[in-house]
Amino acid sequence: MDFEFTSEQQLLQDSLRRYVDKAYSFEARTALLAADKNGSAENWGIFADNGWLMAALPEAYGGLGGSLVDTVIIAQELGRGLVLEPFLGCGVLAAQTLLGAASEAQKVRLLPQVADGSYRVALAYSEPGSRGMPEPVALQAERTGDGYRLAGRKSLVLGAPGADAFIVSAQIPKTPGVSLFLVEADCAGLECQTLPLHDGSWVQELQFDGVEVAADALLGEAGQGLPGLRQGLANGIVALCAELIGAMEKTLEVTADYLKVRQQFGVPIGSFQTLQHRLADMAAELELARSSLHVALASMANDEEATRYKTVSGSKMLICRAARFVCGQGIQLHGGIGMTEEYLVGHYYKRAVVADVLLGSSDGHEAACAAALQAELRA
Amino acid sequence: MDFRPDASLEVFRQEVRQFLRDQVPADLKGQQRCTRSPREQIMRWQKLLNERGWGAPYWPKEHGGTGWTVPQILVFDDECSLAGTPTQDGFVHKMLGPVLNAFATPDQKAEHLPAVFNGERLWCQGFSEPGAGSDLASLRTRAERDGDCYVVNGQKIWTSYAHHADWIFLLVRTDPQVKKQAGISFLLVDMRTPGITVRPIRSIDDAHHLNETFFDNVRVPVGNLIGSEGQGWSITKFLLNNEHATTADLPELKRYMRELRLIGTTLQVAGKPLFERPEFALKLARLEAELQAIEMLVQRVARLDEQQNPASHTLGSMLKIRATELQQRMTEAQIEALGDYGAIAYAHPHEADPQQPFPLQALARGISNDMFLRRASTIYGGTSEVQRGIIAKMLFQL
Ligand SMILES: Cc1cc2nc3c(=O)[nH]c(=O)nc-3n(C[C@H](O)[C@H](O)[C@H](O)COP(=O)(O)OP(=O)(O)OC[C@H]3O[C@@H](n4cnc5c(N)ncnc54)[C@H](O)[C@@H]3O)c2cc1C
Repeated sequence: MDFEFTSEQQLLQDSLRRYVDKAYSFEARTALLAADKNGSAENWGIFADNGWLMAALPEAYGGLGGSLVDTVIIAQELGRGLVLEPFLGCGVLAAQTLLGAASEAQKVRLLPQVADGSYRVALAYSEPGSRGMPEPVALQAERTGDGYRLAGRKSLVLGAPGADAFIVSAQIPKTPGVSLFLVEADCAGLECQTLPLHDGSWVQELQFDGVEVAADALLGEAGQGLPGLRQGLANGIVALCAELIGAMEKTLEVTADYLKVRQQFGVPIGSFQTLQHRLADMAAELELARSSLHVALASMANDEEATRYKTVSGSKMLICRAARFVCGQGIQLHGGIGMTEEYLVGHYYKRAVVADVLLGSSDGHEAACAAALQAELRA
Repeated sequence: MDFRPDASLEVFRQEVRQFLRDQVPADLKGQQRCTRSPREQIMRWQKLLNERGWGAPYWPKEHGGTGWTVPQILVFDDECSLAGTPTQDGFVHKMLGPVLNAFATPDQKAEHLPAVFNGERLWCQGFSEPGAGSDLASLRTRAERDGDCYVVNGQKIWTSYAHHADWIFLLVRTDPQVKKQAGISFLLVDMRTPGITVRPIRSIDDAHHLNETFFDNVRVPVGNLIGSEGQGWSITKFLLNNEHATTADLPELKRYMRELRLIGTTLQVAGKPLFERPEFALKLARLEAELQAIEMLVQRVARLDEQQNPASHTLGSMLKIRATELQQRMTEAQIEALGDYGAIAYAHPHEADPQQPFPLQALARGISNDMFLRRASTIYGGTSEVQRGIIAKMLFQL
């Protein structure tokens, strides 16, 4: 085990921090929120040019051959700046699901375009009844003469506005298991409603009313999509957790600074022991969360499938709850100013609230963990 | 000690229900959920209550109030919340009103009370300043005597609903020479007076409740002083002690529980109602037990208050801490219960409907606005940290 960055990893972090400092000052972010949905095309170009979209993809498919650790380094820095570009939705969730689920020929054709940012794909898997979990899937893909007809609904599709295509999870009648399809965003019968989230980002809710796709839209084999989908989701959850580590770091820094300058009763409020202790608790929560992220990374690298997903669920629950506590207390320690739109800390809290809902809530993952644990104990 | 139900309370409940059913027009019922209604609705609702003789539901009879007991008040609040009526102007009913009843001259009462009862005048609270939050006594807004006026200069902040208010009750410094608490006075100011500027502050619940309020040579008749010069601090302590039960916001807590149950029975997860999920049911069970205890605590604090027992202050602080935390956890639980839709920023209940309705809009709208606004519950009305300090000091002499 090694907690130090290699020189390459350090370079990656440095380049991201420079980007975030420049493109995501509070003022710049506020302007971006007003101007467009999910950041700007120009910024997305910077993601592509710097290789951040290809970092964790194999060289065989136009990637840099890195790993989930690179994804984590990137996501953590993006979290510090509450970056709006859809790195999580397109750069991680969709890309890693393609990597896990598509056939060799499909990977060769699609991934290089994903890696260089020219083809944007989003993952449409969650439904009102599955709440961020990969199952159950209600959306139906009925076989037609030369393809499939899709009917159903997908909620909370991250990175959907501006995406060229969606990976859609579906149930093929009489074929057990989950199947994945690649559906172009502009196909007939697909209705996309663009919806805002609390943190200022945008998603889409997709309604499939008999969308016709060709046979080759099926990714990999019929009924065999679940392992790839779970692999993509696990990568996405780890990235989201890393993002929250960055958000907590920033919240702590901003709050500690404020406690030094804000005066009440003739002294800096940081001289009150109750606030010192609270800040210490927040810092401890952050470090426990960071360690939990490391647990997830270790498990993703070393464990077999069932253990991997149990561990990742545990980290999602622990880190999301830590983030809600740390960012919520960031507001509390600021008093009234923390409640305002014009001030930074409230926006970190909003992201923490959204992150808790995304990719399955803390309660959902706690239940998933408990079920996995029960299975272990039964065996 | 006796916990048997009080039959007369049920009679009272029927009376309130009948009023709500027969005398309240449909457009004042079934309102969108919110912590404070728009100005016009507050005014219409107040007028209607007054016509029924219920213009001041929380005040004793000798001040024109209903003289209801605490259990009656809880029933009234509950039934109004169930019917979805507008809110009243809490600033005047729960804060300024008791102050006027206790400290105002007959002339001042004659000037202000009729407008409170018939709903023609809404109030806001001008205490906090940029440099004076928890340390309220360090406030700097000055009021200098000039003939039969005070000339007010300074700035207030976090003035909730100043943009809807006709009048403001204000803490000002009338004597900068004496100990800081002793130099504070309590003034009533007409918001239309020249020299007052109100600037909006948007809060993280995506709404405009808060304001900065500036005073630039604002001339206020000396007759608008409540009590005597320098008495402002003791009046404020009187007022803030009344605030604990209000900040607990029991009717809202109960509404949150009703909504959680509704979400639990309405939404489906993996083909079954949400309430069948153990993680949801366990959480609801915990919240319900806490809510019941809070409801009892509200009544204990109120009873001690009635008896003017000083123990009500520490118990009130405990109530404030725990009830506001429960507000936060219940609204967070609502967000979680909404599943994927917990992340969606629905239009604020007071804003226009979106062109194309959002999915689940009828059930989910307003929930997140409340949840974000509830982060402030542990900040306003004396922060939780300050309340804990009060408890340690008063209860244990630490
Ligand atoms: C939504 C909202 C509505 C409001 N409405 C009104 C209104 O209508 N009228 C009005 O006058 N005011 C209003 N307020 C202001 C409110 O009363 C103040 O925010 C509150 O008194 C705290 O002051 P502050 O914001 O300056 O925070 P500060 O006092 O600066 O507190 C910052 C942090 O320091 C802590 N702290 C401060 N002193 C101590 C201490 N001695 N020991 C330990 N910890 C301490 C606090 O607990 C907090 O965590 C409102 C505030 C909000 C958020």
